[in-house]
Order: sequence, then structure tokens, then C-alpha cells
Amino acid sequence: MWGQVKQALYQSTTRFVTRLATLVPGFVALVVALLVSLLLAWVVWMIMRRLLLSMRFDERVSRWGLSSLAEWSPQNSPTLLVSGTIACLIVVTGFLIGIAAFNSDLTSSLVRGIVAYVPNVVGAIVILAVGALVARYVSRSVLIGAVNLNLGYARLLSVGTRWLVMVLTIAMALVHLRIAVGIVELAFGILFGGIVFALALAVGLGSKELVTKSLERDAKKTPADTAEEPLRHL
Amino acid sequence: MEVDSAPQQAGQDIGQIENADLVVGIIADISQEDIAEVCDALRTLPGNPRIVVLQNRLTSDSAPTDSAAATQDSSLSLIPWALHTQNSPTTPLGSMLAAYQSTLTVGARLGVRGCCVIASKLEHAPSKWICRLTEPLLEASCDFIAPSYARRKFEGLLNSSIISPLTRSLYGLRIQNPMGPDVGISQKLFQRFLDGDQNGKTGGSGMHLLASLVPLVLCGNLEVSQAYLGARSYPPTEWTHVSSLLSEILGPVFLAMEKNAACWQRTRSSSPVKSLNEATPAPHTTGTVEIDRLVHSFQLGIRDLQEIWGLVLPPASLLELRKLARLPIEQFHIPDELWVRIIYDFALAHRLRMISRDHLLRSLTPLYLGWVASYARELETAEENAIEHRLERLSLAYEVGKPYLVSRWRWPDRFNP
Repeated sequence: MWGQVKQALYQSTTRFVTRLATLVPGFVALVVALLVSLLLAWVVWMIMRRLLLSMRFDERVSRWGLSSLAEWSPQNSPTLLVSGTIACLIVVTGFLIGIAAFNSDLTSSLVRGIVAYVPNVVGAIVILAVGALVARYVSRSVLIGAVNLNLGYARLLSVGTRWLVMVLTIAMALVHLRIAVGIVELAFGILFGGIVFALALAVGLGSKELVTKSLERDAKKTPADTAEEPLRHL
Repeated sequence: MEVDSAPQQAGQDIGQIENADLVVGIIADISQEDIAEVCDALRTLPGNPRIVVLQNRLTSDSAPTDSAAATQDSSLSLIPWALHTQNSPTTPLGSMLAAYQSTLTVGARLGVRGCCVIASKLEHAPSKWICRLTEPLLEASCDFIAPSYARRKFEGLLNSSIISPLTRSLYGLRIQNPMGPDVGISQKLFQRFLDGDQNGKTGGSGMHLLASLVPLVLCGNLEVSQAYLGARSYPPTEWTHVSSLLSEILGPVFLAMEKNAACWQRTRSSSPVKSLNEATPAPHTTGTVEIDRLVHSFQLGIRDLQEIWGLVLPPASLLELRKLARLPIEQFHIPDELWVRIIYDFALAHRLRMISRDHLLRSLTPLYLGWVASYARELETAEENAIEHRLERLSLAYEVGKPYLVSRWRWPDRFNP
């Protein structure tokens, strides 16, 4: 009896040690891959940083009208953002290669799944970046146009427009990432509709006073007031 | 631009003419009688030159009427011509400006000695002044003849507040209307423009042509003179379209400034240009200016556009603007020095593309309306002859402020007061 127990314990210990031993090369490979990728990332980061600084990348970005990129960057420097992003990508790639070195079904399918998901993530980032730029451009257009039309609620219109575009962008990015698609669609519909309704109410209520004032002014106008304004710009 | 975009009939009429000495493009909406008088006046030019008059005809018109049909004699050909075509921009200003280029292209094809454009309605019929714009071109004594009009208090404000004093400060030429619109251009000058246009240096629209004229004259050491044409009737501008106007006009001006930076940075002072005839006093202006509305636009801009202006203007200018917005209307006044710095900063921001160029120029509108309010308040009760002194003061402020522009232009990051 005792011999059988001993035998079973021995066999299970052997299996455990064997399994553990098979994992060690994977761990070593993961650590090596991480160290190599960290080293490579640091080298690439340094090279990219120097290259972009010599190109005056930060100034060029603001000249290209992408000044919003600086706001999202560490120390307001798009150079640091770009070089840091590339370095992070190298480290993440190194980590995935290291994980794949375990050579088990689980890790292989995990890596395959992550790699297959990368295009979605990249796509979502691109959608967010483009959406942010479009939102800023459109909101500025609305703000300047509304101020030039002497509308008192220009800022409200501009902020509303920016949020409309951003909500649309975020919804598109989430759908692209396949995260809770049904909820996103529903929430997007409610939010988008809500913003439009709020804007319509705000503009409508704001315009009420404007229209009243305009009608009052027209009614009070004397023939002398209706004479053509003498200003000629061109 | 190719002339084959014009109607076939007109193209055939031009095709029949092998060469000419002068092309006159009539863009302004003037009567057939006036056109006939212009032709008669042109026939009196010395030396019996061969002249082609292009009479503007909209593409939407049907077949030419008898009066509009081409007429030719030994010295003058009058050709109905779609100076702005279906491919031209749809705005009235845009299509008018496209007409300039049609005229120049016809001039280049015919190898003329000069081109002249009649673009505005003046109180005197064009026949009274057309020879002033054309004769120096034929005598080859001048390359660019700019118009000078009788000054009225509240007319041509964009020109008075920005274009003319900026041109004077940058290029050193005291021209009342650097961008015409009634101009005479020598073959040497328009050929330079067309060559630059083919090389993609000038931008290609009529507005770019008008904005490029003075820089081309100064940088090419060409001769310029000014002809007094009388009082001009200015087209009314819908106040809601002022921002489009600023964007359409100032864009090419700032672009020309950028392209000719090396040239204007060498210019230190200004000098008057030769006048071909004496100016006469202008009749009085009637009507009152709604200063309240203009100041309200300015205050609204201060309230809502500071985020955008903060990218363009230095903190000191922003602070001064904020103080101005708090003043009561009776005390509202934008100092010339501040206005000049604002224009220079916007020109610099246009060059550096700090924000979209269209946004930048449109965001200038409340500031421009603020200047108009300040100017109108100052001159509301003044006599017409006070305008010259007032605008001279402004022009001098532009000249005094030029070192600021040069410093910021050369070192935009280092020099930011």
C-alpha cells in the first residue's frame, strides 16, 4: 500500500518537475526576448528622437495644422509621442515573440488572437486620431462662422458640434474593436440624438430672443434708419 | 489658363487677329454707349496702335445681340468675350478675378505691348480716363499703372486699413490702390506673371495676379505710376460676407508676402509713385455707420475667439484687446500700433500655418470690424479732407512697425513679446 502511494507521489512529482522544466526555456526565451526588445526599443527611441528633433518635427506638426497632437503628447512634444509609440510597439512585439516561444497550444492561440486583433486596434487608433482632427476643424469652423454671424451662442454650437463628431468617432472606434457592438449602437443613438436635441433646444430658445429683438428693431426703424449703410469694404 | 475655354465664336474672332498692340478687357457692367465711347477714345491714342477690346459677356447669355457682336476696323476690334467662363469660381468676386487672367492670356497670345482692365463703375465714363491707363503702356514708359480714386470716408475700407498701408510698408511704394481693380499692365509685367503662373509660383487666380503685381514691380525693378480716375462707386458688401471677403483678398496678399520675403525685407522706407494727373476733392459721404453693431461683433470675438487668437497673437496684444472690449462704445478706439501688430502677426501665422489658413483669415473678421468701428467713430464728424491725414498716420504706423514684422518673420520662436 505504502509502496503504491510512494510510486504515485513519485510519478506526479516527476510530471510536475518535467512540466516545469519544459517551461523554463520558454521563460528564458521570454526574458531574453523582452530584454532584446527593450534594448532595441531604446536604440530606436534614441535614433527616432534625434532624427525628429533634427527635422524640427514639432514645428512641422504645428505648421501642418496638427497642433492638437502636441496636446496629447508627453511634455507637449509630438517627437516624444512618435518615438515613444514606436518604442512601445517594439517592446510589445518582443513580448509577443517571447510568449510564442512557450510553444504550447494555449500561448500560440493567444498570440495568434492578439496578432489578429492588432489591425483592429490600429484601425481604431487611426479612426480616433482622424476623428479628433475632424472634430477640432469642424468645431473651429462652426465657432468662427457663428461669431462672424454675431450669434451669441457660438461657443455652445461649437462645443456641441465637437461632441457630435467625437461621439460618432468613439462609437465607430468601439465597433471597429468589436466591443459591445449592440450596446455601443444603442448608446450612440441615444447620445447623438440627445446632443442634437439639446442643441436644437438651445439654439431654438436662444433664437427666440434674437428674432424678437430683430422684429422689434425692424418695427421701430424710421425711414432714416433704413438708408443704406455707407460702409464699403472692397 | 487656355483661351479655348471661351465661346467658340469669340475664339474664332480672336483667331482672326494675328497681333495687336493693346488689349482692353471690360469686366465692369457698363452700357453699350459707354463701350462705344471707350472705343472712340482708344482710337485717338497716338501712333495708331492696333487695339483689341474684349467686352465681357456672361456665358449664360444667348447668342450675341447685334450691339454685342464683334466689330472690327483697321485699328480696333471689339469682341464679345466670356471673360469668366463656366469653369470660373462661382462667387462674383472670383469670376471677376478669373476675367483678369483671360484678358492677360489673350494679350500674351496676341503679343501686345500692354493690357488694361476696366473693372469698376466710376462716376466719370471710362472714355474720360481710359487713355490715362493705356497711353504710358504704349509709350513703354511704365509697367504698372495703378488707379487712384477720390477718397471717401467709409469706402474701400479693406484697402485703406490693410492692403494699401501694408503694401507701402513692405514694398516701399505709396500706392493708393495696389490691387486695382482698374489697372494697366505692360507686356513685361504680365509676361512675368504668366511665366510665374506656369511655374506654379503665383497661385493662378486673378486675385493672385492682383496681389502679385506690386511685388513683381518692386522685385523686378519695373516702373510704376498712379492715374487718378475720379470717384468710384463701390459695390455694397453684405456684412455677413465680410469674413469670406477677408479670406479671399488677404490670402493671396499674405501668400505674395511669403513668396517675396527676401525682397521686402531689404526695403527700408517708402517713396511716392509718379502721378499721371492731379486728384480732385471727393464729394461728401452720406449715411450713418452702426458703430454699436461693429463693436458688438468685436466684443463677441473677444469673448469666443480668444482660443484661436491665442495661437496667433502674443499675450501683450491679447491683453490690450481684452481691455478694449471692456471700454464703453464712446471710448472705443483701437490704437494704430496695436492694429499693425495684429496684421503682422496674422501674416506670420499665415506663413507658419499655425491653424488652417481659411480659419485664420476668417477669425480676423471681428478684429477688422473693431478697427472699422474705431475708424468710423474717429471720422464720423470729420471733414472728407481729414481722411488723408488719418490714413497717412496709419501708413506710418505700418512703416514704424515693420522691424517688429521682420524680427518675428526671421525668428518666430525666439522673438515673441
